[in-house]
Amino acid sequence: MTSAPEVGGLLEHLFRHQSGRMVAHLARLLGPAHLDLAEEMVQQAMLRALQSWPYHGVPENAPAWLFRVAHNAAIDAVRRDRSLSDKTDAIVTELSRSASAMPDDPGLEEQLRDDELRMIFMCCHPNFSRDTSVALSLKTVGGFSVREIARAFLADEATIAQRLVRAKRQIRECGLTLDMPSASELGDRLDSVLEVVYFMFNEGYAAHEGEDLIRRDLCMEALRLGRLIAASSISMPRVDALVALMAFQAARLAARVDQAGDLVLLEQQDRDRWDQGLIAFGFYHFDRSISGDEVSVYHAQAAIAATYARATGPEGVDWPVIHEIYDQLLELNPSPVVVLNRAVVVAKVHGAACALEAIEPLESDPKLRNYYLRLAVRGHLLFELKRVREAAACFRQALECPCSEPERRFLRRKLQECDGGLL
Amino acid sequence: MPHYMLLLYDDPSKWGKLSPEEMQKAIEKYSAWRTKPGVVDSNRLADDPGKVIRVTGNQPRATDGPYSETKEVLGGYYTIEAANYEEAVKLALAHPHVEYGGTVEVRQTWGSMT
Repeated sequence: MTSAPEVGGLLEHLFRHQSGRMVAHLARLLGPAHLDLAEEMVQQAMLRALQSWPYHGVPENAPAWLFRVAHNAAIDAVRRDRSLSDKTDAIVTELSRSASAMPDDPGLEEQLRDDELRMIFMCCHPNFSRDTSVALSLKTVGGFSVREIARAFLADEATIAQRLVRAKRQIRECGLTLDMPSASELGDRLDSVLEVVYFMFNEGYAAHEGEDLIRRDLCMEALRLGRLIAASSISMPRVDALVALMAFQAARLAARVDQAGDLVLLEQQDRDRWDQGLIAFGFYHFDRSISGDEVSVYHAQAAIAATYARATGPEGVDWPVIHEIYDQLLELNPSPVVVLNRAVVVAKVHGAACALEAIEPLESDPKLRNYYLRLAVRGHLLFELKRVREAAACFRQALECPCSEPERRFLRRKLQECDGGLL
Repeated sequence: MPHYMLLLYDDPSKWGKLSPEEMQKAIEKYSAWRTKPGVVDSNRLADDPGKVIRVTGNQPRATDGPYSETKEVLGGYYTIEAANYEEAVKLALAHPHVEYGGTVEVRQTWGSMT
């Protein structure tokens, strides 16, 4: 992982990250029912910085400055808030103690990381839908604004704002806490968290019209959350596997689309544009992930991504190994997407006819009949078998299915290739 | 060299709409401008509306501000050195405050004219 460059004396994304950990910290001290108040206090601290720093310069320890100002604002707010009356003194004492902690105290740093972790677990509570968990995590732990979340999800602001309001009401009504799950439920709760984190990553990774930097930020935030969990005492090998998987995929973010914004398939990608820092980082976590006996879907997917990353060029890809891992993945997760991705690898090892046979069963599933990826893979295999007319029909049918604009352009290109083959 | 004051007015409520990331971007831009050669001094005015002293019926009276009808308030000032108004305006135009929709008033100070 490349270290974040400093801009104007501030670490990249400092405000966003500080906002997340300060909200998590204050929410623990104030109680998660007062998440809104925690957010408001952090916002106030940042506004004060925005008013003061342009005239007085950035303070030497910017995070400590923000931390102190947010705490002081919280102390004032708690004293004013009558709804907290019986707890006011206790909370003020806690806040004052926390505010006076030395900023370079390693204990405080650890406490803040722990607070963030607790907040992640609460945001990914199984009570919430996945969309809600992602929005809530981005807002509270990630320090994203409603507008930024809406832009990343191609949704409108009102929808996201509504979702957050409902989630906060749910926190209050269900009495969700910031306690870490007990040992017996930790495994399941961790799985919910990893699911949300990977979903967040994929949302950012999916190709959409009008590539926006915010989507890359989404991937990087998912990676950051993954790292945070991987570094904690409750981590399990599958967390490292997921971090490795995300790092390998994120390394290819820039190479995945060309100048015109068109999709570039893995094999045709310019490997010089892969982020070597992220790949090294991926291997570091991949090695950690295989330290135990655990084999999760993330392990299999990370192993596939690692095999691609190890190849020096498109010719160097070890297809038989990838084939073998796909077989494992299919056992762990027999989903249509895995079947389709595996088919492309089957074609490399055993030929397109064999691959075509492997995806045959999907055709009888009415849900998949009009799935663009199934049609695109089928078209690709038919084209390889020189059944060009049938391939063209597949691509044409795929173009009528819902898919993103870059995917549509990709399908059109394939269709043109077919038409060229017919001449 | 003559000194000029840049008086920065803006609508404070608009900043509340920025995300942490956008706030950081704004701070970085403002901070970068502050290190330009020619910037001598700067200060932020406190948020409270302040006091206004006026003489009414021969009696000076202090009342609470603001006295402005507009949403824009004076937020802070910079003192800069510039050869003339043209130079001063050039420096002021490059201030991110302008990009963020604020108003900048440029005034030469009396002392530096003599």
